Amino acid sequence: MSEVVLDSVPSLPSLYRSALIGSVPLPRMGRRTKGAGTADLPAVRHSVSGIKASVGELTRFQQLIGAPVHDLLPSGFVHTIAFPVAMSVMARKDFPLPLLGMIHLRNSVEHRRAIHFSEILDVSAWAENLRQHHAGTQVDLVTEVTAQGEVAWIGRSTYLAKGARITGTPTESKEGREPFVAPPLTAIWDLPGSAGRSYAAVSGDYNPIHLNALTAKALGMRRTIAHGMYLASRMVQEGTPAGVESFAWTIDFRSPVLLPARVSIAIEPHDEAGVWHSSIITGWNARKGREHFTGSVTRLPVRPFR
Amino acid sequence: MVDQAAGQRNAQPSTSARNAVVIGGNRIPFARSGGAYAYSSNQDMLTAAFDGLVARFGLQGERIGEVAAGAVLKHSRDFNLTREAVLGSALAADTPAYDVQQACATGLETVIGLANKIKLGQIESAIAGGVDSASDAPIAVSEGLRRILLDLSRAKTTPQKLSVLSRLRPKDLAPNAPTTGEPRTGLSMGEHQAITTSQWKITREAQDELAFNSHHNLAGAYERGFFSDLVTPYRGVTKDANLRADTSLEKLAKLKPVFGKSLGDGATMTAGNSTPLTDGAAAVLLGSEDYARRNTLPMLANVVDAEAAAVDFVHGAEGLLMAPVYAMPRMLARNGLTFDDFDFFEIHEAFAGTVLSSLAAWENEDFCRNKLGLDGALGTVDRSKLNVNGSSLAAGHPFAATGGRIVAALAKALAEKGSGRGLISVCAAGGQGVVAILEAREQ
Repeated sequence: MSEVVLDSVPSLPSLYRSALIGSVPLPRMGRRTKGAGTADLPAVRHSVSGIKASVGELTRFQQLIGAPVHDLLPSGFVHTIAFPVAMSVMARKDFPLPLLGMIHLRNSVEHRRAIHFSEILDVSAWAENLRQHHAGTQVDLVTEVTAQGEVAWIGRSTYLAKGARITGTPTESKEGREPFVAPPLTAIWDLPGSAGRSYAAVSGDYNPIHLNALTAKALGMRRTIAHGMYLASRMVQEGTPAGVESFAWTIDFRSPVLLPARVSIAIEPHDEAGVWHSSIITGWNARKGREHFTGSVTRLPVRPFR
Repeated sequence: MVDQAAGQRNAQPSTSARNAVVIGGNRIPFARSGGAYAYSSNQDMLTAAFDGLVARFGLQGERIGEVAAGAVLKHSRDFNLTREAVLGSALAADTPAYDVQQACATGLETVIGLANKIKLGQIESAIAGGVDSASDAPIAVSEGLRRILLDLSRAKTTPQKLSVLSRLRPKDLAPNAPTTGEPRTGLSMGEHQAITTSQWKITREAQDELAFNSHHNLAGAYERGFFSDLVTPYRGVTKDANLRADTSLEKLAKLKPVFGKSLGDGATMTAGNSTPLTDGAAAVLLGSEDYARRNTLPMLANVVDAEAAAVDFVHGAEGLLMAPVYAMPRMLARNGLTFDDFDFFEIHEAFAGTVLSSLAAWENEDFCRNKLGLDGALGTVDRSKLNVNGSSLAAGHPFAATGGRIVAALAKALAEKGSGRGLISVCAAGGQGVVAILEAREQ
């Protein structure tokens, strides 16, 4: 795998702008798959070194997701700092799937140790695991955040390009999903119509599907939808007991949260030997009986302090 | 969570401290929100409660050792609410005061803290109390406007000020009103209790019966003059305005569920078996035995002991209002007492479901073993001793005033009986709870 070293973290709005221009009418995709029969991911990693969090942005992020305004970075905030590097991989001309309109299916993150806002971070990102999904093609974007020579945070984001077909990769069969049974309610998230714009302002993720009904409709959504990472950030914040600084979390998105929304939440903690081990967190629409997401947070063994 | 009792087990009641006694109490009748006290502030009502107490016990111009009170729904300008109420009352202006805030346990906590100061000999007399107005609630500017105004006050130059003002959006002008929602869960207290009520399988009939008894008992207490030296009329109100002496189980059964509606058939909590938003204030006069004797004041009961607890409701480990269930066995063990040693039980009726879930938990062997760390069930509360002079379902529940109402009424009931002990249990927002023991004075 070759490495492309970027001067700085690319800005998401400019990535979206170029993607918008490049993707009308939709995919580069079609040309590739029809013709070649096989599409490959670029064997390249994009890297940026010497990144430092802005205290002002950190504060606004913490306040929006209801986290205490302390000096450690919320896991979702690390994602917002690092993920544009992964986006720049997806925006490459030789990336086989269209950037816009991709559906965010899943995140899985190891937050291996607490990261102080003053730490200098190096970010490296690549794409892997291109595979078929019953509704199209999915791909993993891996983002690795290194601080003081060790990987402190590593995240895998799974995206689906709906309708895109790739031959030559194994087919994932459509799993029969069991009917959703709501777990015992523990909280309600009342998300206003502006929730997407608010999260865009603190994360820089101005994907048009989150901003207003017109831009969302243009990309096939009925209304604006909440950012997956907003839901994930709140899920991690509320599902992790205070003081746990080393943990892994996952979230699977089942259906988009159309804004405004009243999301029912269940946090189900699990102890081992009287100590918190993990929590399962579920979000759903009680009126429609439809699941929005399910996720987990699990304690990681504490690493010896060096 | 497995054994909450363990960390506290070594605490022992002090044997060397002197007694703190309840001398008497005074409150204004409680009114429903938006009713007779709609235009009275917290400070107005607390001052009225203090003045009634002053008149009842001849405290005009007297310097009291210390006064503590609080309010749950509080204006930011009321940072010194209790001291301001003291200054507005007939008490001596050199009476010190401080504010306490522990949600619905505020009133009880003021009694406990001040009784402890008396026991330690730091003060001779004290007034504990609380007040709340759901009518005159604080309304704040939006978070956006608040930040802009603060940044504006820090901006030095005109261009800086204009740049701050340019952030103003129409939605920033909408005010923020207080809610009964828990900040960390977004669920109202009623919705939280509905989950607990359903988990403990408390029936609608049992809740309605508890509500019926509350009204019946409160009406009976008024009828026999029990409150004549505990309540002073205010703004033309002479009895708690929420009291429905003529309510019946049939009437209560007709009400539609208001909380836990997503539970379908499991929705059992109505406006009849939940407390309404209420305005009111209460005060309690405490003192050392010496103080009471010197001033020829009555001694209704001793403040024996108290215990606070909290539960993790945020992560779903326990119900929001179940903390008193955890506090109770710790306090009983420390005092070597069981439920059989009590003649009166004052379990605050935030909702009928709260009282009944607590009773069910104490009777449940598995729960007491696994959650409370006991060897078996804690015990059964004799229903004929429960809230015998009515409780919050009938009287209403001005959050911080409830503790004062309960302590004064229980102390009087113990004095009337002339012997025995009374147990108090109050649940509070934030997953907290406080329990306390009063005992009758030896005759």
